[in-house]
Amino acid sequence: MRPAARLTALINGEPLDRVPFTPFILGFSARNVGLSLASFYSDPEKSYQASLLTQQQYCCDNRPAFGYADYGAWEFGGEAKFPDSPNEQSIMVLRRPISTEEEAWKLSLPDVRTAGYLPTQMAFTRVQIKYTGRASSPSMTPFCTAVSLVGEETFCRWMLTKPELCHHLLLLVTQHRKQVIQHWVDTFGVTNLRVEQSTGPESNDVISPQQFEEFALPYMLDLHQWILDLGIRSIYCHICGDHNLNLPHWEKVAFGDPGMMTFGNQVDLDEAITRFGEKAIIFGNLEPPLILHGPPEKIYEETRKCLEKGKQAPRGYVMTSGCEVPVDTPPYHMWVINKAISDFGWYE
Amino acid sequence: MSSEVNGHEILLRLEEAVVCFDEKAGVEICQLAINSGLDPGEILESGLAAGMTRAGELFNSQEYFVPELLRCSDAFEAALSILQPHITADSRKDKIKVIIGSMEGDLHEIGRKLVALMYESAGWTVSDLGCDVKLEKFLLEIAKTNPDVVALSSLMTSSMQNMPRFIQEIKDIKPEVVIMVGGAPMNPDIAQDYGADGYAGNCGVAVSETEVAIDRVLKASTADRGGPGRHMVKAL
Repeated sequence: MRPAARLTALINGEPLDRVPFTPFILGFSARNVGLSLASFYSDPEKSYQASLLTQQQYCCDNRPAFGYADYGAWEFGGEAKFPDSPNEQSIMVLRRPISTEEEAWKLSLPDVRTAGYLPTQMAFTRVQIKYTGRASSPSMTPFCTAVSLVGEETFCRWMLTKPELCHHLLLLVTQHRKQVIQHWVDTFGVTNLRVEQSTGPESNDVISPQQFEEFALPYMLDLHQWILDLGIRSIYCHICGDHNLNLPHWEKVAFGDPGMMTFGNQVDLDEAITRFGEKAIIFGNLEPPLILHGPPEKIYEETRKCLEKGKQAPRGYVMTSGCEVPVDTPPYHMWVINKAISDFGWYE
Repeated sequence: MSSEVNGHEILLRLEEAVVCFDEKAGVEICQLAINSGLDPGEILESGLAAGMTRAGELFNSQEYFVPELLRCSDAFEAALSILQPHITADSRKDKIKVIIGSMEGDLHEIGRKLVALMYESAGWTVSDLGCDVKLEKFLLEIAKTNPDVVALSSLMTSSMQNMPRFIQEIKDIKPEVVIMVGGAPMNPDIAQDYGADGYAGNCGVAVSETEVAIDRVLKASTADRGGPGRHMVKAL
């Protein structure tokens, strides 16, 4: 099966030949083809080609993706820069738009046509459409975006000392997310648009399940239902980090039919499949530091384990990394994952 | 007996103020402790530090999370600001000295700051170099402060890859220093591969894991050379 056909069959619940492979490769693609990270994040055409060539090299089934983790600060009036040293792997926020409570209360919505990185992301989506006819929206959850506006440390403190201010920011960014998605829908339509979400500081590495329930969940419920009411079929959500205590809350969230949920290595695939396998395609969850450091035999074995578990998922399973594949991952390590999929990833 | 009990009660209340992140109570009780004639070192160790240790335990058991720990640190720092003028240099002279910083290219702060706070609450002298710290800055600070421990933090795989080089260069100029590493992409196997002496998975275990690493390095150096690091035996 060709990659596009494999993914279409997966989404439609049709038989597959093998488990699809969709590693999260951004900077790795740039390094792989000799493109600078700054160019990867600033030039959509070059970025797309770098990702496409790398995906072809490693038998990947996904289409090129685009985005950065600290979304929000730049879009709401802060400052960011493109990576320009070997120690930087993505766009970095230099200044956040909020440094006082007063600024937080007064913050207004940006123009989604011109704010921050959005014009570049729109240009990238046009490149996606040009080559594949399919589009992905910019991704970030309301909680993640709200934290980006003021920084994790301050937001964490405000959750306990100024919860009303946190809710104010969360309402604002949820409205912003809706405006962004509406802009993408108005430009590309709903039929071939996949809406993507990425989590970050809402993991239990940072906040409690009670705080997730109060500050992350309501806005996610509202946003996801709004997205599905637009006619979008599936929401793809990257659930990054340790969310084990949040899983009962995630069960309340609608992801479409089918949903698409990717999990970090901290969440056991068996648990993810038990809780979400009936309603969502499960993606995951090879540990990125393992992919970087190896040893190769452990990468091979962990990939085999993921495949063994994942093939039991009722709505389907996709082999992927738990988060972004590190930029300097040795090519051989990616080949080892391919080898394991080739050895264990076929369906009877 | 009565004043000892009262002193003990005051310290318990101070510990509780930190655990309950009550800044106002922490400041008031700390002042009460000082006015009651309690030893400043004991107020720090048995009141404030005890509170942070309990907060760390609650964090390890996932009853507290980062927001709670930050608020406990606020209560700790507020009370410490009252106590600080009463703490003499002498009482700290044998304490462990730590340099901590986030690796070059890494702008993440929270984890490192919480670890620095736990070190401080243990009574150690901490020099926090902040984020995006180049090797040269670590080396300059090492030359200036002669630390017992250097702690490297990384939350990104791109910045963590410099750790082996940093560790080697630091060990070249100060072989007996104990190097701790930590951060989300780290684990004990990677820490060992990189040449670190120890690894802490989170701020709740930072002090205990560092003490284990210090003990391990001390035993190794005593077995090899019979000498270096005696002052760390006294501090521990």
